[in-house]
Amino acid sequence: MDKEKVSQTPKRMTRSSASSPTSTSNNAIAAKVNSLEPLTINDLLVGGDPISLDDIISNFPGRRNQILEIVRLLGPLNSPMLPLFVYGGPCTGKTSIILRLFRHLKRPLVYSSCRTCYNQGILFESILNQLFLHRKNAANGYANAKRCDRPSDFVNFLREALTNVINNLKEKSEKLVSNKMTQEKTGNMIYLVFDNFHLVKEWDKNSTILPLLFNLYDMLKMHEVGLIFISSTSADTFYSNMGYVEPIPVYFPDYTEGDIRQILLRNQANQKLYSSFLDVVLKSFYGITKQVGDLSAALKPLYEKYCEPLSDKGKGVAPDQQMRRRLLAHINPHIGPSLNEIFKVSSLSSTEVETQKEEKRKGNPRRLEKSEELGSLDFHMSTSSKYLLISAFLASRNPATLDASLFDSKGGSDNRKRKRKPSEKAMERKETLEEELLMKGPGTFPLERLLAIFQCLVSVGEDDEEPNNDGFGVEGGSGGLMSDVLLQLSSLCNANLIFKGRSCPIEGSTRYRSTISEDLALKVARSLKFPLSKYLYRNGISLECLK
Amino acid sequence: MEPENHKTKAVNVLRSRICDPKFIFKNDYPDSNYSKLKFMISNSVTEACNNSILLLGPRGSGKNAVLEVVIQDLLQEYPDSISVIRLNGLLHSDDVSAFKEIARQLCMEHQLLFSKAASFDDNSQFMVAILKECGLAHKTVIFVLEEFDLFAQGKQRLLYSLLDAMQSIASQAVVLGISCRLDADQLLEKRVRSRFSHRKLLFLPPSMEDSQKLLMHMLTLPIDSSFPHDYATEFNTRVQNIIEDRKFKETLQKYLNVDSCVKHLLRFLFCAVSHMDLQTGFLSQESFEIAFSSIQRQPKLECLRNCSNLELHILVCMKRLEVKEKSLCNFNSLMKEYKSMHDSFRTSEYYSRNVCLRAFEHLIHREMICFTDNRGQNLSVEFRPVKLLISSAELHQGLRAYNSCPAYLIKLMDREG
Repeated sequence: MDKEKVSQTPKRMTRSSASSPTSTSNNAIAAKVNSLEPLTINDLLVGGDPISLDDIISNFPGRRNQILEIVRLLGPLNSPMLPLFVYGGPCTGKTSIILRLFRHLKRPLVYSSCRTCYNQGILFESILNQLFLHRKNAANGYANAKRCDRPSDFVNFLREALTNVINNLKEKSEKLVSNKMTQEKTGNMIYLVFDNFHLVKEWDKNSTILPLLFNLYDMLKMHEVGLIFISSTSADTFYSNMGYVEPIPVYFPDYTEGDIRQILLRNQANQKLYSSFLDVVLKSFYGITKQVGDLSAALKPLYEKYCEPLSDKGKGVAPDQQMRRRLLAHINPHIGPSLNEIFKVSSLSSTEVETQKEEKRKGNPRRLEKSEELGSLDFHMSTSSKYLLISAFLASRNPATLDASLFDSKGGSDNRKRKRKPSEKAMERKETLEEELLMKGPGTFPLERLLAIFQCLVSVGEDDEEPNNDGFGVEGGSGGLMSDVLLQLSSLCNANLIFKGRSCPIEGSTRYRSTISEDLALKVARSLKFPLSKYLYRNGISLECLK
Repeated sequence: MEPENHKTKAVNVLRSRICDPKFIFKNDYPDSNYSKLKFMISNSVTEACNNSILLLGPRGSGKNAVLEVVIQDLLQEYPDSISVIRLNGLLHSDDVSAFKEIARQLCMEHQLLFSKAASFDDNSQFMVAILKECGLAHKTVIFVLEEFDLFAQGKQRLLYSLLDAMQSIASQAVVLGISCRLDADQLLEKRVRSRFSHRKLLFLPPSMEDSQKLLMHMLTLPIDSSFPHDYATEFNTRVQNIIEDRKFKETLQKYLNVDSCVKHLLRFLFCAVSHMDLQTGFLSQESFEIAFSSIQRQPKLECLRNCSNLELHILVCMKRLEVKEKSLCNFNSLMKEYKSMHDSFRTSEYYSRNVCLRAFEHLIHREMICFTDNRGQNLSVEFRPVKLLISSAELHQGLRAYNSCPAYLIKLMDREG
């Protein structure tokens, strides 16, 4: 899929890049736009070399039926079309297939993705800009062709623009007919493609824009316009109480295991080796996710590991039975852990991680990779914000009534360790509390409580640490640097580690909530050598049942 | 070249018929809505009186299309004495933009200069003045209000001022409301309702026999010089045979049981025509079968087929929680259930929390489950309550149909269900 995406980007670029050489002077642009009117209609075609239908089918394994179905629904030249609704999960080739097909058919299309056009105004303007053959440039101050954010204006402009384009197309095809150039036909139809249509559901005014777009075909009453919606969810998720005549569905199912194998095998230097690699790993990964993008990202590092025992990193070696067994033995211990890291997104780029791992391996070759991962934080934070984060975490998890006993100046941990047999009732209450914690999530707390806990923690940390690195503890204890702490708090809020709620209308104070997971809190605590578990109210239970 | 040509031409002809309302609805039976509507409007044009009519019927039953055909006919009959103003409730439901649009279209019609800066008041006064002028010139203004029910939201100022302007003798206008709400006239305020003449035209979906007639009408090729004579007759007899076939009738009945309005039927036809075999150039039984299967979708089951093994596990966990009548369910409680399931069944694979969380998010993206609260922005995903969007029966059916689904999942479902 990645390859498809990559090859697709330059293709979409061709339209805009066609204009880039002219940007040397503004006059030239104006001259071009004015004088080369027929050429600009051609800009609505998908650029790139002509491509045959067989090529498309062979480029997309497992998509033969869908490609043929779309071709049939698009129909022969100049045949009108009811709106199409193309849907299927992410990474199933919907967009790339449609764009390729239009390149093959050489018909004009207006493509707008609801991801880049993230509200209705931008969507309208993007469509109109393309239809009016308008280019944003320095000469027009990067303005849009038409200013419109109301649907009613949009439909008027759209009608105007479409009639222009269609008349142009008709003239052009008449000219072609008179010139006997039959193979260059683009036809009279113009197609509007709305990609990532499911995102419209999350827009602000979706209750008006959705029925508008679905009813657009009936509203325009132009037979030369074809509408294509591309969505990752099916049409039934769009139901509203407005209603509309459903468009014709075209379904792209997820790839089967065989298809995925074929896709992953493409562009591999050593097909045989990779195929034997897939024999080993694909089945178990396929059980977790069927999305090609996820799979190829997860399998890449594993394949590198697989090739490690080979002298030349697996280039040009055809594996025999014995080598296969050797490689299998090599890779087997790695499959389990990597299954559990399949969706992990590293904050460093892959090469950096690689080098880091290399270094670590050199440093302490005995240690297992897993403990390495747990031990380190992959981002930098100042010591005081780490303490702040931990105190926020504690404030969210612990009930406020326990604060006094936990953070007693004598060290609350002695208090906690009293041994008493828990009565049945207490156990029950414990359970419901635990349940509540699971369901409700972390609690909220006011700023004062956070600062109080923070001060306690810092003083404890100061006691524990050796006196030579006391630079921070003094600051925290003195309270003179309160504004600094507040600054750090706000930056933690911005980083979405602590959530800042709106101010409560009755109390008037803002309440906070820590959003970090227990794992992260433990990591932070470990990096400070802070005994977090000692302070966490009934810690362990939740950890156990979550893990 | 030639034989290929007329086959694609046949497809083109059929497809343009399907997309063209004029071809479908232009039938001159005295009883048809077309004739009734044409009679009513042409009456008010010739007799220079005011009128207001509601066209009601389910979506896709051809209200708009019939009206369009009528208006085109009338424009040919009385080219000088009709002007049409079209409004759509989806676009012009607020009064300001509605009056603006009316003023714009009136200006276009009468070659006047339209000012964008005109206020609401200017526009409404302009409309009343023009209506008076048109009345004096014996020119009828036809207002078409699509999605009429949306105009009835709010203060209904537009409807009031339109209908109020029509109360005077001088004016000459027809207001046509199109709505798929059968109770659209009940939505009107009292002051509006009293000015409304309660003429309603009901559009009912065609009966089975009418649908078949319509199919025949749509699918027969004209026998004239445009197609080779042999081809056209052969094509028509084949179509006739298919439509009279018992099996086809059953399929059609099944399809129309869901929704029997004209647009729905046209979708089916469109699919069938696009699946026509261009090699032979004839419609066949198979093309209808394919169209039927490709248009009748079961999106939830399809979605279930796309789910990976882990995602199925999560769904089953959720189902179990639902059966246990847990009022709220979120990711954490799901994971607890997942763990207990793993413990009790000794399942081979057990994935870490992070992996499950991503699978959970995939399910949300596929809309198999959704958050019950839409605000909840302040909580992270793990804690937000979710609910299943797939029924127990569907889940069951899907799991059974799914080959690679582990047997114990089905067993679990059986026990609970």
